[in-house]
Amino acid sequence: MTLRVLDPSSEMATALGRPAPRMASLQGKTVGFISNGKEGTAAYFAHLDKMLRAEFGVADVIMRVKSNYSAPADPAILEEIPQWDAVISGIGD
Amino acid sequence: MQLASKIHEAKDFNAVQELYHSHGWTDGLPIVPPTAEAVEACLEWAMMPPDQLIGIEPVRERPITVEKLAINAVMAGCLPMHFPVVIAATTAMLQPEFLLHGATASTGGCAVLLVLNGPIRQELSTNPTFNVLGASDRATMVIGRALRLILINVLDIRPGGIDRSTIGHPGKISYCLAEDEDDSAWLSLAEQSGIPKEASAVTVMAAGAPRQIMNEWTTEPKEILETFAAEIRANMRHYSIWPGNYAIIVPKQLREHLQTAGWSKADISEFIFERARIHRREWADVGKASVVRDRGDTVYPAMDSPDQLLVIAAGGPAGGFGAVIPPWLGHKSHAVTMAIGVCMDCEPPKI
Repeated sequence: MTLRVLDPSSEMATALGRPAPRMASLQGKTVGFISNGKEGTAAYFAHLDKMLRAEFGVADVIMRVKSNYSAPADPAILEEIPQWDAVISGIGD
Repeated sequence: MQLASKIHEAKDFNAVQELYHSHGWTDGLPIVPPTAEAVEACLEWAMMPPDQLIGIEPVRERPITVEKLAINAVMAGCLPMHFPVVIAATTAMLQPEFLLHGATASTGGCAVLLVLNGPIRQELSTNPTFNVLGASDRATMVIGRALRLILINVLDIRPGGIDRSTIGHPGKISYCLAEDEDDSAWLSLAEQSGIPKEASAVTVMAAGAPRQIMNEWTTEPKEILETFAAEIRANMRHYSIWPGNYAIIVPKQLREHLQTAGWSKADISEFIFERARIHRREWADVGKASVVRDRGDTVYPAMDSPDQLLVIAAGGPAGGFGAVIPPWLGHKSHAVTMAIGVCMDCEPPKI
């Protein structure tokens, strides 16, 4: 006997954000870091900061830390993003 | 009734199992085939149309309809009478203070603990006594499982996907119990949250695995509670030092000593709040010296305030056992209590 059963998944694909256009170069750009603030992030982002400036000619690096590492970024951080050329949102765990 | 979900066809019961397993729609156990008839019975019991919106998952902005909850509840083995609890528990999980995404995605690997209060415990023939944390009865088993299947299927919270748990624990199969209100002189957990005794309610808590204690060699309340407090302190050293909702399960044998001495839940919470705290330097005793730094003398309480302790009367009649259930991670997630099948804040109908 054929059983007719229902789909338990949401069937509602979340509208995924699209990556911003890729930059040909980071030279002279401003890069923002959004850190989750965990123990492991400090050294990781500090190293990345140096690397971006020394090896890729990044002009400025802005470091922002979420107030709650298990929640989305705070609205104040999101408001800043348009002022940056690129964002690195990293998890340090 | 017009259901919106896609219909799949399978030639028999076994084919249904393979279909659902192959799509990643199960927890690895067999499921009850969610036919339209079974799903509609749940919706009719809850008196809700299939497209009723229960909430929107805030991080991915995913709408959650009652139809999808019903499908997953049927799969978990729920009868229609179980379904209102599933709706209320899902609604509770969607409250901002529960921080659903963090609690279900974290490497910390907590599960969602459900505690049932009120008349529904008896209507569903729950068993809040023997083996209360381990498949003690049909209702709590299937309701807890329904919540997990909803997380898996409706919100795609699967191991290795959004669920990044390093270890997890068996409560992620089902983690639900009823409080033994009939054999307790204490206020129920729901009453402590202001819900009338005549109403039913469910409390959700982002919870670690239970840690069992034993002390059957005293009748002194403070000595009994010292054992619970010590287990909490151990969790603070070995797992997480941050304060938040802890739950303790107090079965009848220990409960009677406390109640005979006149201790209320509030008294218990006050005592444990004072006793369950550690110095940061204690981390050095358990291999975590590198993060003590210059704050060794700082004292950390297990809870921000006594009312963060959930005292739950439950467990078999004999044995000086008990359990401490730690929070996922401090106060990032707060336990939420939700009335079942009633609207606490609705305005009265206009006549």
